[in-house]
Parts: sequence; C-alpha cells; structure tokens
Amino acid sequence: MYQTPVTTTSLSMSVLPSLSVDDSSSALLASQRFVSEACLEFLIMETVDTMFRTTLDAETDREAVFYKLEMLGYRVGQSLVERLTKDRPRFVDTLDVVKFVCKDLWTIAFKKQIDNLKTNHRGVFVLQDNNFRWFMRMSTETGAQDSAKKAAPYLWFPCGLIRGALANLGVVSVVIAETHIPNQNRKGISHQDSVSIVEL
Amino acid sequence: MGSSFYLVIVGSRDDPVYEADLGPSSKAPPVPEGTKKEESKHLNQFIIHSALDIVEEVQWNTTATYLKVVDKFNEFLISAFVSAGNTKFMLLHDTKSEDSIKTFFHEVHELYLKVLMNPFYEVNHPITNTHFDSKVRLIAKRLL
Repeated sequence: MYQTPVTTTSLSMSVLPSLSVDDSSSALLASQRFVSEACLEFLIMETVDTMFRTTLDAETDREAVFYKLEMLGYRVGQSLVERLTKDRPRFVDTLDVVKFVCKDLWTIAFKKQIDNLKTNHRGVFVLQDNNFRWFMRMSTETGAQDSAKKAAPYLWFPCGLIRGALANLGVVSVVIAETHIPNQNRKGISHQDSVSIVEL
Repeated sequence: MGSSFYLVIVGSRDDPVYEADLGPSSKAPPVPEGTKKEESKHLNQFIIHSALDIVEEVQWNTTATYLKVVDKFNEFLISAFVSAGNTKFMLLHDTKSEDSIKTFFHEVHELYLKVLMNPFYEVNHPITNTHFDSKVRLIAKRLL
C-alpha cells in the first residue's frame, strides 16, 4: 500500500491564460480564472495514490502504474500546449520548442522557470529544477534519501506532461526524470530534480 | 452564386478533423442548382486537399500562424491558418477580405481549443460535436 507523503497546505494561485467566454455565461466568469494551488497539489497526489490502488498487482507491476500516469500526463500536455501557444508565433526548431517548455510551460505549471538547461546538441537536453514545486512540501521521517525514492512516482505525471507538450509541438521524445539530493545533512527536502529529454 | 465558404480542419497527422460548408452569406434566393451544387461540393474538398501541400511548404518560411492566401484555383482563393500544434485550418473562399478571415480563423481556433479541453476528445480525431458545428456556423454568419 503506497504511503501518501505529509504536506502542509498553502494558499496560492496559479493562472492559466483564459479562453474567451460565450455570451451566455455570467459576468462573474468573464473575469480572470484562477486555480487554487493547494487543490492542484492534492489532486495530483491523489491521482498517483489512486493509480496504485486501482491497478492489479501494483507492487509487482509498477510499469502499469507508470504507463497510466504517463499517458494521463501526455494527454494533458498535448491540450495544454495547444492552448498556451494560442497567440504566439510558431516555433522554428527543436531548441526553440525546448526553450518554450523551460520558460512558459514551467511558469504556468510550476510557477517558476527552469534553473539550468544543458544540451549535447545531439538530441539530448537536461533540464534542471532546483526546487520542484510539487515536491516542496513532501517529507518522510526517514530522511532525504528515502523520500527521494518514494517521490519517484510523483514525477511520472510531469514526465508525461512534458512529453505530451513536446509531441504536440512536433518533437517526438522520451522524458526521464531523476532526483538528486544536494545536501545530505538536511532533514527537509531540497530537491534538485533534473529531467532528461532524449529526442528520438 | 453568392459568396460561399468551405472550412476544413486538418490534424497534425494529416487526418480530417472537421469540415463545413458555410453557404452563401448573401440573402439572394437559392438558385435551383441540383447536380451542379453536388459537383461543386466534391470540387471544394478536392481543391482544399490539393492546397495542403502548399500550406506545408509555406509554413516553414514563416513563424506567423495566419498564412494569408496560399493558393488560387480558377476564381477560388484558399487561406490557411496553422496552429502551434500543427493543426491546419483552411478556408476556401471567392471574395478577398483578409481581416475578417483572420478574425474568423482566430475565433474558430478558440472554439477548437475548447473542444480540446474536453478530456473525452482524442487529439486528431474527427469532431462530431453538434454544438461546435452550430457555433462555427454562427461565427461564419457573423464575420463572413
């Protein structure tokens, strides 16, 4: 049975570019729409938990859970990116697409930009986020090393999200995520997460 | 024949997503066309599909989303709009009114985004939503 990490609630909002509203909607809906960040975090946590609970043989078949979460993220990423690029000009090449993912997509989904982007110019990009927002409040009693391992399934959905976003912008890729702990002495979580994108 | 328009939405894998015959916007009484109209329907689809190649060529030259008139066939003009996810919106028309067509494309694109938000809609599948259809016709009536 998978353990849900303990989190503290926060009250902050994230903004998505709003689509135009029909004439039939009320004036209230016509104003900017916000999503409560606490709700989003809880929903994402619960999604992972539900997948583990509803998959047969979840302990032995982590692949199935991975597949489900990733495909979920893929579909979300596809639509999200179509909506986010609504009014901006189209992209020139892969590097442009990856830069868009680093800046705009990361800002919308995680409220900050990527801290470090590396590439080997042969199709592999490494995106590094020093403070992954969805993990900020996760912790376990056994310390940083163990919580990094336990947090891995929570990364599968963001991986799918990025893969779907890239795919819809024309870049077929494989997205792998890793967590590193920079400082082993601290008790809290200060993750250094990096996402590697391998272009197929 | 009054000004007629024919809209086609093609997905990123070149699969047809939606097509609509947005008929004449003028209030002239319909001429009993019979077989002539059916022929022109087939022809419209054919013209738009042949213009797809040209759209794919032109889209690499510019980063703008609205590609103006990409092709001309006899008296018909074809305008195109490409979204970032490579979904092509193409309109066959015989009058030249760039601004209204640009606005039309933007509004249809927003409608398309709303369809995308539906989790039950798979990307690049045909849109069978009647609500979408009636909205598109409304926009066409208003702008074209």
